[in-house]
Amino acid sequence: MRFEDRKTALPDEVLMRVDKPSRYTGGEPGSVMKDDKDIRCRFVMCFPDVYEIGMSHLGIQILYGLLNSYEDVWCERLYSPWTDLDKIMREEKLPLFSLESGRPVKEADFLGITLQYEMCYTNILQVLDLSGIPFYSKDRTDDDPIVIGGGPCVYNPEPIAAFFDMFYIGEGEVVYRRLIDLYEKCRDEGVSRQDFLHEAAKVPGIYVPSMYDVSYDENGRFKSMTPLFDDVPARIRKQLVKDLDSSFYPLYPVVPFIRATQDRAVIEVQRGCIRGCRFCQAGQIYKPIRERSVDTLEYQAREILKNTGYEELSLSSLSTSDHTGLKRLLEYLIGYCDEKKINISLPSLRIDAFSLDVMDKVQDVKKNSLTFAPEAGSQRMRNVINKGLTVQDILGGSEMAFKGGWNKVKLYFMLGLPFEEDEDCRAIAELCNEIAKVYFDTVPKEERHGSVQITASSSFFVPKPFTAFQWARMNRPEEFEEKAKLTKRAVREQLNQKRISYHYHDSGTTIIEGIFARGDRKVAPAIVYAYEHGALFDAWTETFSYENWIKAFNETGVDYEDYIFRLRDDNEPFPWDFIDCGVNRQYLLNEWHRAAEAAVTPNCRDKCAGCGAASYGCGICVEKR
Amino acid sequence: MSERVRIRFKRQGPMRYLGHLDMMRYFQKAVLKAGLDVKYTEGYHPHQIMAFAYPLAVGMETYGDYADIEFNTVNDPEEIVKKLNGVMREGTYATGAVLLPEKALNAMAAVEAADYEVIYDIPGCSCEEVKEASKRAVETLLSSESVTAGKSGKNIREGILFADVSFTEGENRLILKLLSGSKLNARPADVFNAFAEAFGERKAVSRLIRRLEIYGKNEQGELVPLGSEGVL
Ligand code: SF4
Ligand code: SF4
Repeated sequence: MRFEDRKTALPDEVLMRVDKPSRYTGGEPGSVMKDDKDIRCRFVMCFPDVYEIGMSHLGIQILYGLLNSYEDVWCERLYSPWTDLDKIMREEKLPLFSLESGRPVKEADFLGITLQYEMCYTNILQVLDLSGIPFYSKDRTDDDPIVIGGGPCVYNPEPIAAFFDMFYIGEGEVVYRRLIDLYEKCRDEGVSRQDFLHEAAKVPGIYVPSMYDVSYDENGRFKSMTPLFDDVPARIRKQLVKDLDSSFYPLYPVVPFIRATQDRAVIEVQRGCIRGCRFCQAGQIYKPIRERSVDTLEYQAREILKNTGYEELSLSSLSTSDHTGLKRLLEYLIGYCDEKKINISLPSLRIDAFSLDVMDKVQDVKKNSLTFAPEAGSQRMRNVINKGLTVQDILGGSEMAFKGGWNKVKLYFMLGLPFEEDEDCRAIAELCNEIAKVYFDTVPKEERHGSVQITASSSFFVPKPFTAFQWARMNRPEEFEEKAKLTKRAVREQLNQKRISYHYHDSGTTIIEGIFARGDRKVAPAIVYAYEHGALFDAWTETFSYENWIKAFNETGVDYEDYIFRLRDDNEPFPWDFIDCGVNRQYLLNEWHRAAEAAVTPNCRDKCAGCGAASYGCGICVEKR
Repeated sequence: MSERVRIRFKRQGPMRYLGHLDMMRYFQKAVLKAGLDVKYTEGYHPHQIMAFAYPLAVGMETYGDYADIEFNTVNDPEEIVKKLNGVMREGTYATGAVLLPEKALNAMAAVEAADYEVIYDIPGCSCEEVKEASKRAVETLLSSESVTAGKSGKNIREGILFADVSFTEGENRLILKLLSGSKLNARPADVFNAFAEAFGERKAVSRLIRRLEIYGKNEQGELVPLGSEGVL
């Protein structure tokens, strides 16, 4: 079918009434059209946020390309209709549709929803609601697609387990072919939805919540989870790609017509991280680190740029500086991109002579800032969180950068970390002041263009599953506010306070995020309540209402404080214990105890900490050190 | 040294919901995908030198719009057309290209007028009734002394060079030739609204606006398509 002959799902009269109609028309370069008669499975892949955010997500592009490379599968995209279209769709009873075929989502075989952050949970309900699919898995019939969730939030899927028929735990590339084969076979044989779910529960990495029973203790706290059938596994093991070089990577990604949040060619440099920062979930759940080779990356960068016409390239990974071939890669890319007039958007790099040289080559020094993420102000606190960034790294890096002409510095911190004292908050201000002092000591008056500008921002800490801090007590909103005010006052007391600006994030979203992060199945009705009382796009400050959420927990009898404001016992069972992500609980518990002593644990490259992920037999765990 | 090529293009189907800036971004990417030897500005963030004659409104199709692009070298403008169409399949296609003489005005400054068709219906009205009412409405439009533009409130009657209705392939069309430029710019949506008003009770509803051609002037002061030889 020619693209211009495609009918849009929404009538012209609706498209002309909404903001950015191209969010809803599909047909972008790289999007895939297939014919119904050639396919056996229609898979709608949803990112439950607005188009510009969802289109920026690499994971969806990978799965979209991979699933469409299967002849029998048509993968289509779906994003949350923004509030303007949402209203029209309700008023005019228009069914939610996928972008490629424009057909109702309800008619698809699968509805896959990627869960990248907890604050998208009400958007899941919006998608189900507008599609005419029942919220609860138990109410669905053969007329509904199989609703499957994936992404980092599935490392505790329990608060939203009731809305999903299944989840896949791990990296989607590995699971889908097998699952779809099973689905097609079951459908051909006329197997019921229930029996298909039962079979799917045996596929490695697939978690089917309805196949498990959860029990609670006398305080109503999670006690255990047991399979309802003997042939359903009690633990679900994360699935991962062992070798990135041979795994699928989209060389023809979908290129949005309208400007997306991340609107550029992306190469994925590595997966996982060698650093075990104790607050960080990504650092644990993607273990072990697996690098893509420089040769593959160079090839992929060239191909993607050629196939998309993008004028900007970015590198995606956690902690990019740790890639062993980064120097060679960047040297190559800088040369290539310079010749082709392509901008390189640099990831945040550890500041040293090499990275400053690279930044100098690809950025306008006057306009750009140095970025540090010390996460905590004092060295003791950085040891507590196992952030291997020292004050010498920061001050030394700043000095080098100031000499090179930079004068803007951005710093990211967290407040409300376990074992944090008032002096640690004040240390944030002192560190900022020190950096300003380095500037004044380093750069002679006559060479100063404008003056140094230091921007510090802090977010509030949320304990996450599969981190050393999963046992920690979260601060109450009042404590957060107090700490932020204390930090602000301390900034004002500094000698160079005029050069420092300090911002902190809202504590309301943090609290709700904390409840979803470590909640259990009892939370689900509160999400439905909040949604039915107007909660939507909770990740957006303009649409988020804290009061509405607290009311939802109160009205549905969810003791939300118990999930977040309580220090957990070392042996307390967690709702997410059934997931085996490679990193074992004993290692995390040791890390929790080491945090209390402010003891530093070396990173994977320096010394293996025996976290358990070596059982996958790949990546750094099997490399020579 | 560089050479400026004026590319004529059409845009159809769902791509018509793109705004002007997104159209430009689309073209920039197409030029790179096609591997054309495009010219860049100097500086930290070099960008392609590209200018569109007349921004397309969101929702509008076109059969005859123009973009000027500078290249380092050009052998044959037709080759540019071929290469662009080799990488464009979304609903926008190049339909012609000419090498511009050095003295040619920039695309936007050259625009004097444009042709449009507005496809419309009158809900709940039979064929014959539509024809009759449409003919009356276009007469009313042309005989009125004042036609007000929605946003500016300006009288754009002078800007309507031609208006008529046609009925083919089961579609009702208002055909327009409108002045465009800095002094007086008549927009097809405004003219259509005035036309729709003239129906009285029954409202005509626009389904699609399509630009058919953009005109500049030649030395004799005549309107000629922007991509023709001799255009200023
Ligand atoms: S460096 Fe630390 S914070 Fe960053 S991804 Fe790795 S573990 Fe997480
Ligand atoms: S087993 Fe050792 S090397 Fe492998 S991820 Fe865990 S700590 Fe790192």
